[in-house]
Amino acid sequence: MHFLPSVRTADRPRNGRDSRPEGDLGPLAARDGAAAQDAAVAPARRPRRLAARPQLPALAALGGAALLLAAAETALLFDQPGAIWALILFPAAALTWFAAGAVASLRRPGNRLGAIMLAGALVWFAAGLLNAPQPALASVGAIVAMLPLALGAHLLHAFPSGRLRGRASRLIVAGIYVAALLLHAPAWLFLPGGAGSPLQVADRPDLAQLGADVQDVVGGGLLLATAVLLADRMRGATRAQRRVLAPLALYGIAAVALVPAMSRLQGPLLGDDPIALFAIQASLLGLLPVAFVAAVLRGGFAPTAGVRELSAWIGADGSRPAPLRDALAEALGDPSVELALWAGERERWVDGDGRATELPDPRSGRGVVLVEAEGRTVGAIVYDATLIADAAPVREAAGVIALALDRDRLTAELIASRERLRESRARIAAAADDERRRIARDLHDGVQGRLVVLGLRAGELRRSADARGDDDARAGADALRRELEATLEALRELVRGVLPAALAERGLGAAAAELADRMPLPTTVDAGAERYPAPVESAGWFVISEALANVVKHAGASRAHVVVEATAEGVRIEVRDDGRGGATASGPAQAADGAHANRGAPPSGGSGLRGLADRVDVVGGRLTVDSPPGGGTRIVAEVPCGS
Amino acid sequence: MRVVIGEDETLLREGLSLVFEREGFEVAALAADGAQLLAAAREHRPKLVVTDIRMPPTHSDEGLRAALAIRAELPQTAVLVLSQHAQRRYAAELLGERPAGVGYLLKQRIGDLDQFCADVRRVCSGGTVLDPELVGTLLGRARPDGDPLDALTDRQRDVLALMAEGRSNAAIAERLVISEKAVVKHVSNVYDQLGLAPAADDHRRVLAVVRYLSR
Repeated sequence: MHFLPSVRTADRPRNGRDSRPEGDLGPLAARDGAAAQDAAVAPARRPRRLAARPQLPALAALGGAALLLAAAETALLFDQPGAIWALILFPAAALTWFAAGAVASLRRPGNRLGAIMLAGALVWFAAGLLNAPQPALASVGAIVAMLPLALGAHLLHAFPSGRLRGRASRLIVAGIYVAALLLHAPAWLFLPGGAGSPLQVADRPDLAQLGADVQDVVGGGLLLATAVLLADRMRGATRAQRRVLAPLALYGIAAVALVPAMSRLQGPLLGDDPIALFAIQASLLGLLPVAFVAAVLRGGFAPTAGVRELSAWIGADGSRPAPLRDALAEALGDPSVELALWAGERERWVDGDGRATELPDPRSGRGVVLVEAEGRTVGAIVYDATLIADAAPVREAAGVIALALDRDRLTAELIASRERLRESRARIAAAADDERRRIARDLHDGVQGRLVVLGLRAGELRRSADARGDDDARAGADALRRELEATLEALRELVRGVLPAALAERGLGAAAAELADRMPLPTTVDAGAERYPAPVESAGWFVISEALANVVKHAGASRAHVVVEATAEGVRIEVRDDGRGGATASGPAQAADGAHANRGAPPSGGSGLRGLADRVDVVGGRLTVDSPPGGGTRIVAEVPCGS
Repeated sequence: MRVVIGEDETLLREGLSLVFEREGFEVAALAADGAQLLAAAREHRPKLVVTDIRMPPTHSDEGLRAALAIRAELPQTAVLVLSQHAQRRYAAELLGERPAGVGYLLKQRIGDLDQFCADVRRVCSGGTVLDPELVGTLLGRARPDGDPLDALTDRQRDVLALMAEGRSNAAIAERLVISEKAVVKHVSNVYDQLGLAPAADDHRRVLAVVRYLSR
């Protein structure tokens, strides 16, 4: 029973199933009615809140049982010889292990450390029976007496995932269990033990001592191997991981090594006080899981939701790359998880923003699991292989996130291609601007100058015709000069349209004033003498001239006003009139702009405004149109000077 | 009379040089950019400086800047600016507070040699010359309803335009083929209608009219 149903499990392409639209419960509805109901009730809730704790009821029951066991064991030991406070260290340690295990299980449901600790709690209860008055119970205690040590070593090897990583680790842990159980056998086979142990086969303290020696040697060797292995792991860990791992490993090894060693050094160091010795040993081992739980929490492992909740979350939320990554990190309990997307078009890996990236070298300690959707590779999960030893949960997560990741991949490709499109549009606009500038300058420096010189020649012709008294030639020269003047006038008009001299010579304010002078309705200009980069001035001039043309064509205004002012980012251009309003720039450039305030007026001059919005967009600016019906039109373009 | 000519296009520079020599000027220096022009004007202190607006190295308005500097530094030197475009703003800058011995014409006016030489002489003798196209733009600017300019008769507008070009009453009379007395009457009526105070001289008259039209 889980609280968040797996709405999207049907989407797993690895299972060869067809994808389904989001929210479609598909076969789940029939298969798991309760889950479907839950989904209907709370489809959009987030796992962080829900962080399903399926183990909670079970753990609560177990906790109750543990308390009962502890109470029973305490009662059993109550009238035994020896200090009762020392004897109840067993149930106390058991409860500590249990509590640690419960916290670990709740915090990281997918992690087996908690299970090991819970098993440890049971072992501690069993070991505590060693001092029980009943021979059978005491025998159980005698058999498992050394197991707490083995569990401590097991925790060391299994941290942080709870799974044993690598063959060496598995062999060492197996060896430690053998040493703790089998090599401990001589102790109860050849020693009398308490309460007339039924296990004793012979009273041979010498054999028992031999067994203890062998156990110590084997156990010591295995512990040394553990230390070497942990040191090796430490080398491959990140600095942050080392900060967590190092104290833990030191404490763990110290605890596991000191407990048997102290029995040997007991005489010289502590005097003959077995109770004090035992108290120290039990405390060292009993608090071991607390250290592990602290390490788990310190390691930044947020409460994890697990893969199942991850799938529900993906189904319930319009996820974007970062949240998907975060959800995955939570689900896997690995804060370092990264997502790479396969940009098929460019044949390379990219991150969520479409930037090129590389997959890590497998030897680097980073694991890679490919994510496939509909048989194609769409991305990869890059995780901490030292943290997650077994790739199975990662593969499972890969199946769950496949479609969401594919969507992210397409989004990333879209963003990248949009960026390329914007750049190419900017280049085209810049090229057109350059061309206009070149044409205007060529006309000014070339054709216009030559025509002026020709006009001078015509004037000279007229003078010489005058001197000769040649009236025909004079009339011809005059006509020629007037033709040339008319041509020059037409040429000036052309240059004004291509790129006005005022813009090139004095910038936006002068160009705006020149445009205003030629308006058929009173038009005022409020502008400074600031100069801006050429592309900004070109775009700004385009905005002013198009907006004023629209005022003339559509607004029915009695006056217009132009403002050009420098802002922190660049330049702000405002063209407003007192006309009929209702202008709209229908189209995505405006629709995407929240500031656009078209109050339901019918479109007029839409294409002109659309062109304006495009032209401003190319230089990274923003065009807003405020044109309430009957309330005039105000067009504001904000163009940044950067980039 | 010495003249310094600033013009970056060789053909036109040589052409202008010829025109001025034929008119009896001594061409003291030919400059191809603003800095050269300023240096030559300082060196020769000519009667007249004739210059283009757009010149190297930036091809923006260095000719105009040089002209403004010369007008400020050398009050005895008349300045005639020639350009492919007539900008209201440049005219205002050139007129400044001392609208005497200054002219601003389109380059194409050179072709009408008689008129051009008359304008040059007018500038040299302390007069003011503004290009008819510029004045046309000034007069043609749209104005709010009820503006006094709209109440002028066509003839009054013609007189106003010629005043703005810097012409004297005699020149206006000749151009419009009316008596000078009639011109005086028209001018007086225009002043009344526009609410302008009668100007002390022709230069002041140009300034007042141009300022009025630039409102």
